[in-house]
Amino acid sequence: MSANEDQADVDRVLTGDLSAFEGIVLRWQGPLVNLAYRFCWDRGRAEEMAQEAFLRAYRALGSWRREAAFSTWLFALATRLYCSELQRIPARTVPLDEVTKMRDPRAPDGGLEKRDRDGVIRRAVLTLPSKYREPLVLYYFHNMDISAAARSLGMAEGTLKARLFRGREVLRKKLQPVLTMPFLKKEAG
Amino acid sequence: MRWDDIDRILSEQEEILPSSGFVNSVMDAVRQEAATPPPIPFPWKRALPGLIVAGLTIVLALVAGLVPLFREVRALPPSPTLVLEFASALEAAKSVGAGWIFLALFLALASLKFSMRLAGAKS
Repeated sequence: MSANEDQADVDRVLTGDLSAFEGIVLRWQGPLVNLAYRFCWDRGRAEEMAQEAFLRAYRALGSWRREAAFSTWLFALATRLYCSELQRIPARTVPLDEVTKMRDPRAPDGGLEKRDRDGVIRRAVLTLPSKYREPLVLYYFHNMDISAAARSLGMAEGTLKARLFRGREVLRKKLQPVLTMPFLKKEAG
Repeated sequence: MRWDDIDRILSEQEEILPSSGFVNSVMDAVRQEAATPPPIPFPWKRALPGLIVAGLTIVLALVAGLVPLFREVRALPPSPTLVLEFASALEAAKSVGAGWIFLALFLALASLKFSMRLAGAKS
């Protein structure tokens, strides 16, 4: 349904009907903003990046080869843009050491609530080198669908799997101080 | 904590809703883009003969400059130390005007880069 709508809207835009692009924006604004948000954890910046992605998609609409789904093409374009944007201006991240210092030791749960812990784990992904960060972000964004993540990143599935494996190893090492906190130890056991 | 937990945490991330003005903002940018006249493409067809001639000239100048240089270096008597050899090579390069050749090459490259940048900025 959405694929047909995308194709119809693209055809209309290419024939000069600019208003048809609004349909594309309405359908894909959520996924594109959320994907950007996972890369930068900043709502304002995520919207700016998503807007730029839509603008680039508009400019390059004629280059969409219909063999691939419009969504695949759009995600690949947006991913390339987000990755290069983050290489230009990296996302602001709190070092994991700071997180362990911030906890309140008097708290019964060790000072790190579940919500905080989840946030720490999610943000830890952003501190990884880009070659591991990008595959991990895309892999979880696409609900652990390897082929969808590989298509968005424009890389072979085997390469993606290798990077995911290595990225997870690095992430495990980075998360070691957080995983040894009292509250988390309890859950680990 | 096992990897399954980390997988779950990383998959179940909070979804954010784009702000209410997002679509309008994107459409304004798209309309502005559509209203802008298309960029003037770099005139490759016109520039190509000139570029080829310039390239050939550079290659010829390079060959013309380097061949006598190598001949002179080869003709020089062998020096006892590396420093002396370097100094004599430098002297030989000076005599055939290698500095001017490199300056000309550098200026040609700089002007090419500058014109490419101008063309890129317009497009």
